[in-house]
Amino acid sequence: MKNLITLILLVFGASISAQTNYEKGMEKAFKLWGENNIIEASQLFERIAKAEKEEWLPAYYVATIEILASFGLKDEAVLNLKLKKAQEFLEEAKSISTNNPEIIINQALLNTAYIAFDGQKYGMTLSGKNAALYQQALELAPNNPRVVLGKAEWDMGSARFFGQSTEVYCKDVARALELFKTEELPKFYPNYGAKRAEEILKQCGEN
Amino acid sequence: MKSIFLLSLLFLSIFSFSQKRVIYGKVIDNKGIPIEGANVYLEGTYDGTSSDIEGKFNFTTSEVGVKTLVVSFISFETHSQTAEVTSFQNLIVKLREDVNTLDAVVINAGSFEAGDNAKVTALKPLDVVTTASALGDVFGAFQTLPGTSTNEEDGRLFVRGGDADETQIFIDGVRVFNPFIPTAKNIPTRGRFSPFLFKGMTFSTGGYSAEYGQALSSVLTLNTIDQPDQEKTEVQLMTVGVGAGNTQIWGKNSFSINASYVNLAPYQWAFPDKNEWIKPYEGTSGEMVYRYKPNDDSLLKLYSSFNYTALELIQEDINTPNGFHFGLQNRNLYFNGSYKERLGNGWSIFGGIGYANDTSDINLEDDEVDDTENSAHFKIRLNKRFSNRFKLNFGTEYFMTDFDEDFRESLGEDFNLGFTNNLFGAYAEADIFFSKKLATKVGVRVENSALLNQFTMSPRASVAYKSGKNTQFSLAYGSFFQNPKNEYLKFNTSFKAEKATHFIANYQFVKDRQIFRVEGYYKKYDDLLKYDSQFVASTTNFTNNGNGYAKGVDVFWRDGKNIKNLDYWVSYSFLDTQRDYKNYPTQARPNFASKHNASLVGKYWINDWKTQIGMTYNFASGRTYTNPNAGGFLNQQTKNYNSVSLNAAYLISQQKILYFSVNNVLGTKNVYGYNYKNQPEANGIYNHQAIVPSADQFFFVGFFWTISDDKKNNQLNNL
Repeated sequence: MKNLITLILLVFGASISAQTNYEKGMEKAFKLWGENNIIEASQLFERIAKAEKEEWLPAYYVATIEILASFGLKDEAVLNLKLKKAQEFLEEAKSISTNNPEIIINQALLNTAYIAFDGQKYGMTLSGKNAALYQQALELAPNNPRVVLGKAEWDMGSARFFGQSTEVYCKDVARALELFKTEELPKFYPNYGAKRAEEILKQCGEN
Repeated sequence: MKSIFLLSLLFLSIFSFSQKRVIYGKVIDNKGIPIEGANVYLEGTYDGTSSDIEGKFNFTTSEVGVKTLVVSFISFETHSQTAEVTSFQNLIVKLREDVNTLDAVVINAGSFEAGDNAKVTALKPLDVVTTASALGDVFGAFQTLPGTSTNEEDGRLFVRGGDADETQIFIDGVRVFNPFIPTAKNIPTRGRFSPFLFKGMTFSTGGYSAEYGQALSSVLTLNTIDQPDQEKTEVQLMTVGVGAGNTQIWGKNSFSINASYVNLAPYQWAFPDKNEWIKPYEGTSGEMVYRYKPNDDSLLKLYSSFNYTALELIQEDINTPNGFHFGLQNRNLYFNGSYKERLGNGWSIFGGIGYANDTSDINLEDDEVDDTENSAHFKIRLNKRFSNRFKLNFGTEYFMTDFDEDFRESLGEDFNLGFTNNLFGAYAEADIFFSKKLATKVGVRVENSALLNQFTMSPRASVAYKSGKNTQFSLAYGSFFQNPKNEYLKFNTSFKAEKATHFIANYQFVKDRQIFRVEGYYKKYDDLLKYDSQFVASTTNFTNNGNGYAKGVDVFWRDGKNIKNLDYWVSYSFLDTQRDYKNYPTQARPNFASKHNASLVGKYWINDWKTQIGMTYNFASGRTYTNPNAGGFLNQQTKNYNSVSLNAAYLISQQKILYFSVNNVLGTKNVYGYNYKNQPEANGIYNHQAIVPSADQFFFVGFFWTISDDKKNNQLNNL
């Protein structure tokens, strides 16, 4: 136990002392994001992405910000601009880190933004793609809570559409929630989802 | 105290070593209006900022020496300039609009695009399978767009006063030589291809790109899917037959195969029509696609299909008391291969090969006709993107057709007819964007026909101007050549190519799932083929002295926004056309061209029932026919054509769909024209017979089941 604490302290200490430009930059970007300075956060991520050719996270976050901002848009031209930019940065992230489940489910989220905008135009081609993307992510990372949650939510959407029981997917959400509790992540790694899982599980309990 | 002083001195010196430089300036657009929120930074560093509401930026850096300053903003071209860091002061950065965006002007006079990538989508891929009157046929769906004339008994596309042979079909840029399943007279044909193969379609009703030739009126280009999403097996059970398909994916490869068998015998037994069927329609078809995508920059597609069709029947005919006996067996093999690659530096290359072998054994009463056609198409296309504002597209192609016919009269002679038609074509075309609002496309195409010993040159040009946020105007001009049809070339080859010249003006409004467009056109026909006999034979005299014109207005409105769960469109076409061709004694409006055509298509999704219901209403004003009792030529007009079709798709579960459709649900008795007896009766009157559909209505019920790993995919896109 004592050894463990020492180890943690050591690692912690090391990470503080060796705080690089990259870490400072990322922290600043997250701080801006947290303060709702979304454009500035996105632009800083973009600058870091252009400077750090070995890191997939900055490009991933540029894409994430654009995807999240495109839900609810009414103008297709603007939607297309944002999602095209997101796609460009996702491709960059993919080229740095191949078969990364976080990038794969972000790709599915990007597709969902198109489907949400016009289901008739984009649903036919993209919903099949999404099903395949979640399947692929699950095979790569069966214990990644975001993957488990994302797939469960996607499956629930279609089950609900067909008036089928979502119970089996509620179990997946519960499992995701457990996985969230024990998850240990590297710094700056995407860690969203636990709250969302709790919300969905609450709805599950109500039905 | 002393030590603190020393320490601070030390710090000061460090600060002075890493001396900060200020970079500042202003970002504006080409009109001088400040751009807020542009990302301004030194490339390769984190140093940068966003421009403020006045377009101003200001940041510090410790970088020294020669660096690149980058200014980027969404919907503008990224600006970069390289210089000594100290010189980046009081800069004025003028950003150029990115013309490659969704809200930029589109050069589209004359054409309708369908597909995810299209900037303006008049028709979506799903529409082919959910439009009530289309019955899953690509061509059926396009017949609900303006510019087409309803000719229900034919099934092909008649565009702006042109007959069906004036439209050419391309798959992945390669010509399809026999796109339609052959049928008997008066029985509508269908395309040979399953609609779910395609992800994008462009239907051009005039003024199209110099890339396409040998079409006087229209081209329809279909693009197949690049990569399937997942492995699956599909089963189709229909009132007219069965089908099955399977898709496999491994690594960078994928393979899809599907086969279907259609037999109308049970249907004809249950719902007999006006024909006496000896052998009801029977068709077997299979398609395979292999795709190989080694990387993001290149793609190989190999497509092949096989079709076998047989039918035999006796049709009523006023000049044949016992009815006209017609039999047909057709085999069609088609191969289409294409490879494309991005070469870098703005270059990309495309190569395609098409090959078709088509054989028909036809019985006409007691005569027998055997046709064999071998055709091939080779094409190479190069694209060079100099910038977003200037792109060049050029290529060359070669067509070969070898046609051979044996005609055996029951009592009499054997004829052997045939020809070889080789044609060389080359084209070059430039896309020029002057701004986000003004763009033009200019090109030229040359062709050399070995058979006709003729060289032709056709200029093409179009220009588009975006007049407002949602509106634009466009103009197009082009000249088009097409060799005469096989049925004439087999008797005579001393022709010139037929010629058409198009002038088009278009206005378009697009906003939030609403499209309105109106297009006026004038089309001039020259050098049309004429002959002097009732039927074409080896003794017929041909000339190229025919001519004609077509002018009109096409209107289209589509709305998927204003009424929840309802998507509908309305098409109207006004057509004024006359031509003097074939054996016409004078200029007249041909039988296939009705003056007014209109379609109304609606689709309504009922969420509680998990059902989409659809309705199509088609209207066409009367068609011309010649009444020998009245004197004159094409002097009479039939009554108007009306048809209402309904369909419904019920999603039983994610993977099971039940589909139902009825064409002409009201049972309207439509008339396409009249046949007159060759000889008058004793009282001098020629008796007549109406040309009517063989059945007034058509029913279809199908069950579609998909089996895939994730149990999600269905064949809604397949109906």
